[in-house]
Amino acid sequence: MTQAPFSVKGQAGPASAAAASGAPGGPAAAVHAETAGPSGLSGPPAAPAAASPGSKAALLRRLAGELRAAVISAAWLTFLALPLVVFRINSAFGKIDYLWGRLPKLAAVTFLATLAWRFLLRRTAFSRVKEAVSEAGGPPPEGARGPAGRSWLSLLDRAPAKKALFLALAAFLLSVPFWTSPYVVLILITALIYITLGLGLNIVVGVAGLLNLGYAAFFGVGAYTFGLLHSGLGLGFWACLPLGALSATVLGLLLGIPVLRLSGDYLAIVTLGFAEIFRLVLVNVDFTNGPRGIRNIPPPSLFGIDLNGAVKPFLAGKGLLHPDMDLNKVLIYFIILAIVALTVLCVYRLENSRLGRAWLALREDEVACQAMGINRTRAKLTAFALGSTWAGLAGVVFASQITFISPASFDFMLSVMVLSIVVLGGMGSIPGVMIGAAVLILLPEYLREFQDYRMLIFGLIMVLMMVFRPQGIIPGTRRVYLYSPSPGAGGGAAPSAGDGEGQGEGPAAPSPAGASSAPAAPAGPAAPS
Amino acid sequence: MAPDGADRVLEIDSVRTFYGNIEALKGVSFHIDRQEIIAILGSNGAGKTTCLSSIVGLAPPRSGRVVYEGRDIRGASTDSLVRDGLVMVPEGRRIFPALTVRENLRMGAYLRRDRQGVKDDLDYIFTMFPILAARAGQDGGTLSGGEQQMLAISRGLMGRPRMLLLDEPSLGLAPIVIRNIFDTIRRINQEQKTTILLVEQNANLALQVAHRAYIMTTGLITLSGTASELLNDENVRRAYLGG
Repeated sequence: MTQAPFSVKGQAGPASAAAASGAPGGPAAAVHAETAGPSGLSGPPAAPAAASPGSKAALLRRLAGELRAAVISAAWLTFLALPLVVFRINSAFGKIDYLWGRLPKLAAVTFLATLAWRFLLRRTAFSRVKEAVSEAGGPPPEGARGPAGRSWLSLLDRAPAKKALFLALAAFLLSVPFWTSPYVVLILITALIYITLGLGLNIVVGVAGLLNLGYAAFFGVGAYTFGLLHSGLGLGFWACLPLGALSATVLGLLLGIPVLRLSGDYLAIVTLGFAEIFRLVLVNVDFTNGPRGIRNIPPPSLFGIDLNGAVKPFLAGKGLLHPDMDLNKVLIYFIILAIVALTVLCVYRLENSRLGRAWLALREDEVACQAMGINRTRAKLTAFALGSTWAGLAGVVFASQITFISPASFDFMLSVMVLSIVVLGGMGSIPGVMIGAAVLILLPEYLREFQDYRMLIFGLIMVLMMVFRPQGIIPGTRRVYLYSPSPGAGGGAAPSAGDGEGQGEGPAAPSPAGASSAPAAPAGPAAPS
Repeated sequence: MAPDGADRVLEIDSVRTFYGNIEALKGVSFHIDRQEIIAILGSNGAGKTTCLSSIVGLAPPRSGRVVYEGRDIRGASTDSLVRDGLVMVPEGRRIFPALTVRENLRMGAYLRRDRQGVKDDLDYIFTMFPILAARAGQDGGTLSGGEQQMLAISRGLMGRPRMLLLDEPSLGLAPIVIRNIFDTIRRINQEQKTTILLVEQNANLALQVAHRAYIMTTGLITLSGTASELLNDENVRRAYLGG
């Protein structure tokens, strides 16, 4: 997962280097050449697969291979599923029915599904190669776009477009409660809570690379802080918001100090266990009211104004509000919207700060980090604790929104959900996490039509996503590459392959190329060296 | 100031270091004076890298003394030593592949607060290694081996070390690149007045830049002397210099 940031470049790099130098390059280029065929070197390739001579035989062979794979998987699945599909206990007569007729159907479906699956896989791999080759091949047009995946994103980098888009989005989000139904607002609040959670976990997992499977516990701490302080001391939302964040941070520190000596899988298991302990304590301890939870958690107050009594008739009278809308929920909506904005700002600043760079470096090489003077434990601890803070904040808002919390709200599935948001959206990418949260929260709502099957479809989408776009919806790219072609420089060779030991030294050294050549942007005039 | 008058930067005294039950250093002693380049030579498994690890606290010695600028630093953490100007460039370069060249260099200045100084040092490095300037915006992982080694050394320099520990800077590089690296080491020593401890297998080249050298075999220092002495020593020539 950690190599996601450069997977795009990794694919573009070797092929562009090979095409630019006009000669068989390093070993990486050779791998691509196999798929791309000889056309990779001459002009823009139209259909690389069909180009090589004698391809008919090869095609037939490949087809036979595909068919064989499909037959094997069909046979295997049929065998595995035999008892499930064929045998049925007929309890009325105390005997077993054998439904052999189902078997061929199952085999046929599996066979076709395998063929389709393998075709799709091959096409994905193929299109990646093609993208890389065409990127290096023809001279790019004026104002050239990056590879397909980036083009629409690069639009956002242009300042005016970005600003306009941002303003439109802000206006849209701010106006939503005044023209939609209460249901939509509730869904949006949930989505925004998950965005906050995702962004918080993104600091821990995406940026610092610490796999935390117990994030639900920190969310729960925030919620329970509010619940308990309200039922015990009568404290309100605004007092509890910072306290919830603080208690989550403290818990993060307390857990982090002993645990952060572990790394990778071990850390994941310990955090997972910790979250379970937290949940079981909530269930079994008296003062949290056990599994019955805490009820009647109040909505946030707004300078003591009775929103539903005083303001609502006024707004509804002007047709600005759905008649069933609960203005307290609208207030929560605006609060969580503000929290998300604040989170985005903080996370963005953090990622580009000294500390953020230390986290990124820590993810890559701990020994080198120590040699730079980075205190490993302290840097990890900060990431862990800061990540927990957002969970605490979100927890308080969550408690206030659903007014009733119980240990069941903070189970392992919640941690998994938030982690899925981060991974699906794109690790280390702020817009990625936001879109990931929106998709994962909204998708099940859209799929309500399918009733029982919706979680099945949901899971299927996740699997397909990870196969075809493992780097996430919007992969994390922290840097903008500027491409400034310098005359005479054989530009394209600059971003050579990752293991440029042999091939980088030769062609690269004499090119003083553009100060920051662009692995992402078109590889410039492909001058054969 | 060390008692004998010379400005002694580092002195290690009968240091013994273990990996589990295996004794990697069996009582190693040597010293480095201000602005010297010292080379530690030896074959695989002689304990050269362990020497460095023991100094910077990555493999804390079980007994003996490590005195840096008059202070016993045995047991101090690696990152705290960077604050004191003792910087190691680890073996195998270990740059951050997904960070850009510029970011890699900025990481080297992680502990520094003087923005202008950092900027000046960045300029200094970019004039010393124009190739790094040309690749400033590129991911560190896309550099060639030689460039990565230059980056690793430069990253070490960004911390303004008073003493630089270099672990096998020639590892896996082409001869012409190695020569370039060694020229740089000499240049750093002269221009930045940095004391340099160099661990190397390439004895021939190391002895050409170093002032003095120690030769290690199986956890012990077996020979020491000035570079020219060692270059002319019959045994050294036969064992390490190929004739």
